[in-house]
Amino acid sequence: MHNQSRSKYNSHLIKLIVALIVAGGLGYFARQVFMPASMGTYGHYRGDDIVDQLNVPIRLQTNESCFQCHRPIRQIHKEGIHNSVSCEICHGPFGDHIQDGKKVGVLPVKKGKEITQLCLRCHNKVIQARPRKSIKMIGLPEHLEQKGVRVDHTCDQCHMVHDPLLWINQAKRMMGIKEAI
Amino acid sequence: MIDIKKEIERDRRAFIKKVLGGSIAGSLLLVLPAGAVDIAEQIPGMREEKAVFTAKRFAFVVDITACIGCGSCCVADKAEYNVPDGHYRTWVERYIIDDHDNVFVDCPDGGLHGYIRAREGLPHPTRDTFFVPKLCNMCEKPSCVQVCPVGATYQTKDGFVLVDKTRCVGCSYCIQACPYSVRFISPATHTAEKCTWCYHRVRKGLLPACVEVCPVHARKFGDLNDKNSEVYKILHEPHVISVLKPDMGNKPALHYVGLRREVV
Amino acid sequence: MSGAMQHGDTILALTNYVFPNDVYVHWSLMIVLYPYITGIVAGAFIVSSLYHVFGIRELQPISRFSLVFALAFLCCATWPLLLHLGHPERALNMFLTPNPTSAMAGFGYIYSAYLILLVHEILFIYRPTMVGLWMNSTGIPRKLYAFLSFYNDNLSDEAMKLDHKIINFLAGLGIPMACILHGYVGFIFGGIKANPLWATPLMPVIFLLSACVSGISGIIFSYILIRKVTGKPIDVTCIRTSLKFLWGFFILDFVFEMLEVFSHFYMSTHHWHVLESLLWGPLYTTYWLLQVKIFSLIPFFLLGAVCLIKFKDRVVLFVAPIVSLMILIQVLLMRWNVVIGGQLMSNSTRGQVSFVPEWLGREGILAAVVVMAAPVVILFLLGKIFPFWMSEEPKDS
Repeated sequence: MHNQSRSKYNSHLIKLIVALIVAGGLGYFARQVFMPASMGTYGHYRGDDIVDQLNVPIRLQTNESCFQCHRPIRQIHKEGIHNSVSCEICHGPFGDHIQDGKKVGVLPVKKGKEITQLCLRCHNKVIQARPRKSIKMIGLPEHLEQKGVRVDHTCDQCHMVHDPLLWINQAKRMMGIKEAI
Repeated sequence: MIDIKKEIERDRRAFIKKVLGGSIAGSLLLVLPAGAVDIAEQIPGMREEKAVFTAKRFAFVVDITACIGCGSCCVADKAEYNVPDGHYRTWVERYIIDDHDNVFVDCPDGGLHGYIRAREGLPHPTRDTFFVPKLCNMCEKPSCVQVCPVGATYQTKDGFVLVDKTRCVGCSYCIQACPYSVRFISPATHTAEKCTWCYHRVRKGLLPACVEVCPVHARKFGDLNDKNSEVYKILHEPHVISVLKPDMGNKPALHYVGLRREVV
Repeated sequence: MSGAMQHGDTILALTNYVFPNDVYVHWSLMIVLYPYITGIVAGAFIVSSLYHVFGIRELQPISRFSLVFALAFLCCATWPLLLHLGHPERALNMFLTPNPTSAMAGFGYIYSAYLILLVHEILFIYRPTMVGLWMNSTGIPRKLYAFLSFYNDNLSDEAMKLDHKIINFLAGLGIPMACILHGYVGFIFGGIKANPLWATPLMPVIFLLSACVSGISGIIFSYILIRKVTGKPIDVTCIRTSLKFLWGFFILDFVFEMLEVFSHFYMSTHHWHVLESLLWGPLYTTYWLLQVKIFSLIPFFLLGAVCLIKFKDRVVLFVAPIVSLMILIQVLLMRWNVVIGGQLMSNSTRGQVSFVPEWLGREGILAAVVVMAAPVVILFLLGKIFPFWMSEEPKDS
């Protein structure tokens, strides 16, 4: 090699080491800058996310929330056999109706065949997996035939949806039938 | 159903009407966040928990012998979180075991629309059939938290496994790691999402949405440190109680009453 | 599903239900390419180390080329990951807040460390060449070469001795690093207990061995191709030695791959019933037919013949590219079968899904072709800066 080289034999290594140290330092600095402030407060995660999680809006509420305004139904629903059925499953989430104490939308009311469909979600006899002890099962055309009504009757024509046995028990009382259903 | 204070309701409707009509200016109701506080406390002692983490030990119990497979829980869950179609935070499976010990499972739309048809085309008569609701197992040793490369999914000190969607990179590693397949990548946010046992509700003293709506009380939620809670009583009585995939070693806090060996 | 149902009643009963969230294959083509590319990198590096560290002199002609080859692929190793991520803009979170318990979190650091090491090994090995080019060029290339030789034109014995020490150190350090880089990629899969196909301590070993295999065959194939295209002579001794190493690594690789399936079969835990319905179900074609029967057994015997029987040079030069290409395909199939196959079975243990990659889209076939073509382009560009072959260096001393 020519002897004119003015560089020291190890100058490239020194430059390299300096460059790597500078790059490492810059990386460390960048890490400090971009690290979320609450990272590691409680564990290896952004502690502030707990607050974000708490602020997820509650869209579904309780039946009592509905009854705060819808009082007549409250009485019927609570005394009936359907008292464990949630309002919002049939009518839609509270959050679509009321937000921050203000009415923001109208929840749809199910009608006709939709009601039959809703009833069959729970009461359909062909779904055998249901424990019989807790719920009454209905085979659909048979039940209507047995009761002697038209086959195109919807459930709500005999059963008050919020308390299915309300009208039936009333009728039985009027007719003087003692046995309970 | 849950026992709720009866006194507070007097003339409530008239009051709210006035509020809506603006006749009570600057009403308290408008200041309260999302009406959460005016529901009676459903988990005893929750409203006194002011620290970042509660001192409770939560457990979820699903009673398979009670579930009627109506899918109310799935409807509630979808409504509470606007869960994208085709993805499930919770779902209800139908198991059918025939008399040749074959097991048939199905779960159309995650049970969201209920079970309307009997399963057809099975070769042998059915011996046993039941529903199994599934949701996040809230493992004591969660695989998803272990594998998350950026610390976006984490476990709180009171046992909730949550996802920070501002940190999640959407690598799907947690989805691969979860033995229970409760996670999915939300097509809306491109981040991992899963059941949280309704952390935001529980911290405000409310029950998880699916527990709230279950008509047959097949889903139960409570504090194991509270000896009067229903979950404590169930887990300390001689029922057939098990967790899913115990050999995974994840130690789920989700327990099943009446779990059959066929269920995975 | 129908394939799995041929296996009698037990399987029939086990093959009917997929968890509703399990119908998606989250890790698709891009995650197939990711271990493939890192594997080629690790393998190519091993080839160069065989010369630089283990003193296999016959491999000297490809020792520099294999390093540049490794760099070209390493440059693209993160592309499939970025294409896959739901939030690629948050990819640096891996550096910012790596979770110490996550098998994946180390990738950012391991990858960067390896990239730094590889670049420096190349720069130190090429320094005399770079200095020569620096002295003999003008304009922008002159500045570039000056930069690449660290602005140090000192090539005295003292300086070369120092460089040699550094090269030895980097090459020595590079072997465990390459093994970690790729063994670790295997562990990303091997550490997932929820997946019976992945969860085995053999997974990192298989990944590492198949990495060596794919790297060596990638080098052999591209060496012969480039020399042929540019009309330069091919060093047959070098090819013969490489083929011997390829055969050795491939024996180990293939044996371990089969051992994994066999031990699952022999132990016959409930995992086996899941795996059986997978391997004879949706994975039958890509696993048994393509990966094992065609692209493993044929190269296995071809390689054995070439290594054991003394064929003429012409025959070796004819067989070598075919065998290495077949093995490259075998490794790609193996990645496919592991990555995609593992996700085709549901955690329900009762059913499988099928998967057909999309053509367009971020993780489609087209994107995969681009990702696989990119290293070739980068290799071409790097070849303009770093001469691959020793004979092309300017003789200036």
